[in-house]
Amino acid sequence: MKALLFLIRRNLLNGIKSAFKKPLVLIGYIFILLFIIAFIVASFAMPSGEIRTLPPALFRGIMMLVFTVLYYTSLKLGIEKGSSYFRMSDVNMAFTAPLRPNQILLYGFIKQLGGTLFFILLAFFQIPNLKNNFAFEPHGVIVLLLAVVAYTMAYPLIGMLIYSWTSVSKERKRLAKRIFDGAALAVVLIFLIDLSQTRDFVKSMSHVFDHPVAHYFPIIGWTGSIASAAVAEPDTAFLVGAAGMAVVIFGLSLLIYRMKLDYYEDVLEATEYVEAALKAKREGRNMTFGQKTRKNIRGGLSGKGARALFAKNMMEIRKTSMFLFLDRMSVMVILSSILFKLIMPSEAGLNAFSMFMVLAFSLYMLLLMQAQGRWSVEVEKPYIFLIPASSYEKLFYASLSEHVKNLFDGALLFTLSGIFFGSQIPTVLACILSYVFFGAVFLYAEVLTRRMFGRVHSKGLMIFIKMIFSFLLVVPGIIGSVIAVVATDSEFYMIGAMGAWAFVLAVTLFMFSAGIFNNIESSS
Amino acid sequence: MLKVRNLSKVFDKVQAVDEVSFEVNPGEIAVLLGPNGAGKSTTIKSIAGLLRFKGQILINNTDNKSVEAKRAFGYIPETPALYENLTVWEHLEFIARAYSLRDWEETANRLLTRFEMDDKKDKLGKELSKGMQQKVSICCALLIQPKMIMFDEPMIGLDPKAIKELKSVFLELKQAGCAVLISTHIIDSIEEVWDKVLIMNKGRIVLNLTRDELDNKGESLERIFLEVTDSKGEGEA
Repeated sequence: MKALLFLIRRNLLNGIKSAFKKPLVLIGYIFILLFIIAFIVASFAMPSGEIRTLPPALFRGIMMLVFTVLYYTSLKLGIEKGSSYFRMSDVNMAFTAPLRPNQILLYGFIKQLGGTLFFILLAFFQIPNLKNNFAFEPHGVIVLLLAVVAYTMAYPLIGMLIYSWTSVSKERKRLAKRIFDGAALAVVLIFLIDLSQTRDFVKSMSHVFDHPVAHYFPIIGWTGSIASAAVAEPDTAFLVGAAGMAVVIFGLSLLIYRMKLDYYEDVLEATEYVEAALKAKREGRNMTFGQKTRKNIRGGLSGKGARALFAKNMMEIRKTSMFLFLDRMSVMVILSSILFKLIMPSEAGLNAFSMFMVLAFSLYMLLLMQAQGRWSVEVEKPYIFLIPASSYEKLFYASLSEHVKNLFDGALLFTLSGIFFGSQIPTVLACILSYVFFGAVFLYAEVLTRRMFGRVHSKGLMIFIKMIFSFLLVVPGIIGSVIAVVATDSEFYMIGAMGAWAFVLAVTLFMFSAGIFNNIESSS
Repeated sequence: MLKVRNLSKVFDKVQAVDEVSFEVNPGEIAVLLGPNGAGKSTTIKSIAGLLRFKGQILINNTDNKSVEAKRAFGYIPETPALYENLTVWEHLEFIARAYSLRDWEETANRLLTRFEMDDKKDKLGKELSKGMQQKVSICCALLIQPKMIMFDEPMIGLDPKAIKELKSVFLELKQAGCAVLISTHIIDSIEEVWDKVLIMNKGRIVLNLTRDELDNKGESLERIFLEVTDSKGEGEA
């Protein structure tokens, strides 16, 4: 075990040391650290329920829903690929060393605890938002984090047990998948039936996910019950949940540690998958990783010179889309934006700006997703550098497909939202165009960031720089829209002002970033 | 030293390795040859204890998955994978700790000098090229002074000097009584060093031949290889 502890210690220390070797990266990390500290301080110090106090039942419902989705997705992936705490370096060096598999599993588990930190940080980012909307108890932040820790520790253990059972035969794998999907379908059906009766999304969410059965449902309910105590005094459900999760985590750890283990093969496949996913993430392909690609699509490539880039990108989009240009990314943006509006309770004054709220949230999602989009993949490959065309042309045609895709997604999202919220056609059109223009702003902001800073090794840091950069650029548009709404009290002019600013910004950013291929270096 | 008996491995109903049996004795260099997809890497990974399988694998007369067996063998994987945040020297230190080695520093220094890595001791795993990573991988396996060693496509990514050095390492290991198993599909790379050749195709060993037996036949290894892998229309390479 000493050798494995040496590994953990050195990995950690060298990781910190290597950040000090690159001043730019270090500044970025310090900035992120300060940002996180600010969030942590804010999470604990800020008063709760100041803006509004929504019912605790809704909070419990949201928590149950979040953990249901988290467990479902992580465990389903566990059946498919297994859960792995390991990297290929562990497989090649630690697995073949004279160390007991149980010790190696314990080492993996300790590493996973490091990963827990990431989830805790994610949770911290949501706390100010939750505190604004719900009346948190003094212990609220702590129990919420406790629930996150319980989840991140429990799911790899459960995942590994499920995988070791299902990996024996395809029939077992199929059966486990059916059980999972059946359970998910049952929950969705129960929800839809309730929704048809209440016709109120928020009410139905409380009915279904704040039901006593949900509170005491093993693992998912237990974790949700721990989190739910953030807005109430610890009750029986909390105690049962906390005790249940402690038994699950310690019991499964002990069981796995004592078992005569032969899990290397299971882990090998899962680790190869993890390694491929990490590679995709490094190359900015994580949104498209694991996506199915259709081979038989109609039409071929067209255009010559830089135009061929546009044709190639459109072909790639069609190959990975479910229908026309509708892919996983579109579905995520559309569903989450509409859900966001539905979950956010209607308040006097805000109801008139439903479309604006959907637009704002969808732009936030777009910013996150586009940071990992097609453009960043393009510059990782040598072809765009080699094509005999001007830098201006190459940038224009390489990015054109993103605008077409955003137009498609925007049209779909805002037509649906428009019907849903009964908005006027000009407002819908303004939303669609704003969505496309902001997509262009985010994209060219990334190009310009790349042109200014070159290739930043850490993808996370790059995304962070780009997000801050984009946010600063958008501020005048927000000010403009506030002025517009104060002056006219019209959602159309509010969105129009934002869209117009985005258009000006997109064109300006394009002009500044157009020369990118004259001075950036290929990474391949 | 290495005894493989009736080794079989199935992946999703595909028989990757089918009833494979062979032995590699101390001081013998055996080469596992075969076209792509023949089952070489699966065989090597099974011996390294990374896969479950049917059959029996004994290393130094103990089960290959036992701690005792692991103490005796070294493994160089097809694709080197180092710890991103560990320096070259720390990789060797980890191996020394994991295998409970004593007075390993001098051997480690010698190996690094031999593979021209002595000036890269403080480089992190993520800062090394693929070829350099392969060299570290080789140094780690050699550091334990194994009784049996397996190389999976060891020459890929190495520079000519390192290839030359590795070939002399094979011969030194042989002289020291180590059983050496090399998996490759590049016949030229092992032409001068092998004692026994095991040609695999479609998961089976289709030919098990010693150098003397080949000399008696008066044919080249390449010709025999093409004959046994092509004659049934099974060549995939």
